[in-house]
Amino acid sequence: MDMQLTRRRFLQASAGAGAAALMVGRMGSTAFAQSPAAAAEPGSLNFLTWSDHWNPDALAQIGTEQGIQVATSDLSDNSDGLAKLQAGNSGLDLVSGDALWVPAYDANGLVEPMDLSSLTVASELYPMARTFPFFTGANGYLAYPWGWSPIQIAYDPVEVTSGADSWQLLVDPKYAGRIVMENQPIDIMLFAGKAIAAVDPYNMTDEELARAKDWLTALKPNVLKLVAQNGEVRDALVDGSAWIGTSNLGMPDRVKDAGGPEIMAFVPKEGSVGFIDGEMAIKGAANLVRVAPYLEAAATAQWCAQNFLDWGRPLWNEKAYQLLVDMGQKERADRYLYNQPEVALQMTLKGPGGRVGDYLDTFNSVFGA
Amino acid sequence: MARLPGRRGPRGIDVLETMPVSPWAGPMRWMLRLFGLAVLTFLYLPIAVMVLFSFQEGRSVTFPFRGPSLEWYEKALANQQLIAGLVNSIWVAIVVATLATIIGTMAAFGLVRSGVRFPNGIRIAVTMPIMLPGILLGLSLLIFLARAVGVPLSLWTVVLGHLLFTTPFVVLIVAARLSGFPRSLEWAAADLGASPVRTLRHIVLPLIAPAIVAGALIAVTLSIDEFIVTFFLIGPQSTLPLYIYTQIKFGVTPEVNAIATLILLGTLTVLGLGALIASGGRRLRRPREGAV
Amino acid sequence: MTSEQRPRLRRQWPLLPIALLLVFCFFLPMALMVVYSFWTTDNAFRIVPEWTLKNYQRFFTNETYLRTFGKTLLMAALVTIVGIGLAIPYAWFLVRYTSRRTQRILLLLTIVPFWTSYLLRVYAWQAILGARGLLNETLMGLGVISEPSRVLVYNNNSVFLVLLYVYFPFAALAIYASLEKFDFTLLRAAQDLGAPPWRAFMRILLPLIKPGIVTAGIFVFIPVLGEYLTPTLVGGTEGVLISNLIYNFFRGAQIPAGAAPAFLIAAFVTVLLIVFRRYLRLEDVVSRG
Repeated sequence: MDMQLTRRRFLQASAGAGAAALMVGRMGSTAFAQSPAAAAEPGSLNFLTWSDHWNPDALAQIGTEQGIQVATSDLSDNSDGLAKLQAGNSGLDLVSGDALWVPAYDANGLVEPMDLSSLTVASELYPMARTFPFFTGANGYLAYPWGWSPIQIAYDPVEVTSGADSWQLLVDPKYAGRIVMENQPIDIMLFAGKAIAAVDPYNMTDEELARAKDWLTALKPNVLKLVAQNGEVRDALVDGSAWIGTSNLGMPDRVKDAGGPEIMAFVPKEGSVGFIDGEMAIKGAANLVRVAPYLEAAATAQWCAQNFLDWGRPLWNEKAYQLLVDMGQKERADRYLYNQPEVALQMTLKGPGGRVGDYLDTFNSVFGA
Repeated sequence: MARLPGRRGPRGIDVLETMPVSPWAGPMRWMLRLFGLAVLTFLYLPIAVMVLFSFQEGRSVTFPFRGPSLEWYEKALANQQLIAGLVNSIWVAIVVATLATIIGTMAAFGLVRSGVRFPNGIRIAVTMPIMLPGILLGLSLLIFLARAVGVPLSLWTVVLGHLLFTTPFVVLIVAARLSGFPRSLEWAAADLGASPVRTLRHIVLPLIAPAIVAGALIAVTLSIDEFIVTFFLIGPQSTLPLYIYTQIKFGVTPEVNAIATLILLGTLTVLGLGALIASGGRRLRRPREGAV
Repeated sequence: MTSEQRPRLRRQWPLLPIALLLVFCFFLPMALMVVYSFWTTDNAFRIVPEWTLKNYQRFFTNETYLRTFGKTLLMAALVTIVGIGLAIPYAWFLVRYTSRRTQRILLLLTIVPFWTSYLLRVYAWQAILGARGLLNETLMGLGVISEPSRVLVYNNNSVFLVLLYVYFPFAALAIYASLEKFDFTLLRAAQDLGAPPWRAFMRILLPLIKPGIVTAGIFVFIPVLGEYLTPTLVGGTEGVLISNLIYNFFRGAQIPAGAAPAFLIAAFVTVLLIVFRRYLRLEDVVSRG
């Protein structure tokens, strides 16, 4: 979903979301406590998520104050989470997902929609976060927005002296064996789609796909490795084996902290790819009644500000930005685009799209032996 | 055979006396010793580096090394989810190793001795689970358990999944040892009046013990670092490999090195104590040298 | 049931637990996956019963898959042969030159490192072999090379080396289990009869520990075909193996597309085991019939 499509769907959805909100209000969602912070029955809550979505101190506080014992399970990839929940009977109540995976979960009938207007903490969100078209379902909001980040290209300005504004930097033969990227085939196909100016990077035509394949073929000799974890991108930039890397926000700081050179990062002019993630309540889960109280307590400005300081990527809680400014962290928050959430909607969002099988086959053709 | 004084080999047979007297025997012995040492060094080199980085200052797990610092040990020990995950991993590994050893050894006896009609077919069937990727094993068992049977997920469903890819190893390694086993020993025992159970307990099992132990060790090794099968079959719990392999967005920190170092220390200590106790007992029971 | 068959069935009861485990936890569940491999994934990532051979055809029409599979077979064979080649002298060293107590300790010492996280150990190998790693820094410090060498980094060589490292203990344990029972006086007898050590080794030792060698081969060859993590971590873009390509499909929630090539590979291995069954025979000659 790139810029034009997003705006159009945004306007459509705003009209639709108003109606949806009315409907939800009338249905009086029983799955969520009407008066949040108060009457939460003590019990457990099973949360499948990444480690940057929760804070052990927050969970401890929620456990003692509200009696909600949150058990977190580790999530690796969206595809694994989807497969596990599709099988059913997982015992999970809440799951995190990236952007366009949320509609996929919903299409599989796995999501219990939320009524954001019934959550006090939701009023602390940036207004646009309450009306994402891809989070808007027929019966309510599909996911509680958490954080976001574009994929940036980080580079060593000593070695990279020109072209640091475009995806085409990655296929410059000067950088043979000097680029590291995360091993996410669909993301890389999206990069290719952006680089060749595909109309819809998620639904490339056969002709566009062929051009993307050519772009990837030019990319391959430049790639040092496709890493399993983001920390390896940092390490390659630190020890100088790589001069260019793709990563979520914050790589320059991470490299500097690890004793590496001064590096810079940019979002390519053709547009970037990125993620917006959120928490989804699982339909038919045993502990649904504790989801809203949990969100009320864990998604507050205070914890979101802390989360930003811990992990370095912006969150959707607007009030937290003010807290960060008050804490004297304005410079850092601004550097990480905290107060520019509109950038998020300019991204092509991560997630499975159409033609995934063909995309992966193309990727395999290039990156196979 | 009279026992001459000298160095005793594995079976109390004097090594010097029975060694082939070839010009290569001496240097051969030293070369093999050196080789053994080289292999152990090769095996432990990355371990040493891993331990080094547990004392790293900062989040990186590669050179340049900065430190030393104990911050990651503090973080690791304070991280309750990590500790709980570690305990779960150990529990699962022990249960899996035990069950895999029992089921696998029984199956090896059945395969080698009971005159089954298609031993090849059975052996291939037993080997099949390790031919397929873990994601298929985990996902298929999950769908079966969740939909067809309706069992809630827990550490026990994880154990089931782990058994699939550990038991074949036990079966194959015990069967290899069992084939060509000198049945004459068992017949002799039977002639002397021992029941089949007694023969099994006192003659067969001790003699195939190295294979059973090897199979159990392999089962522990495979289970303790398994991620994908565990992910699909686990309930609201965590294990250490789950924690480690899901740090995709930001990468692991030396906290994991700290935990791994502690595990290593713990295991070596337990084994060391075990070896001391075992040898102490044996020393008390062995008759003094020179006795006939 | 004749009286001849009844004792045999009763004798086969030790196979019951594993039969139950395999039937209910493997064959039945996997049958569903086989069916899925002929179905399709729709745009909402549901597996829908649209029958197709596309997932299987892809393996043969897109030459990448066959080429990568061939390369993986070669890599697996190399790791197996070299692994066994190193495991035999190592097991020999354990059995012949150490007391039984030391054997147990050394066996455990061989395997205990593998109870720490695989990811960490491979990261450690990267730290050792990498551009600013231990090996390069040492070699540069000694003046042997002037620039960091990349011969062992992010290519097929590093995949081979790390796979060897990962699977060596399995081969060693398998061979140890067989070698330990070997009667070494046979070698002395052969020597007395005039055979040179090399021939005694080839004609007497190897055949008698053949079950151990075969087992070691299975323990290394088959899992290496399924390896995808090591190639990702240390292989760069050159060291790709077939399971990487299969896992790319699973990453994109395309279960049928990934299951089909996985079953093809399993079928291939099964055929190999059937074709070479004579060499893999393990059952007692005495107990048959």
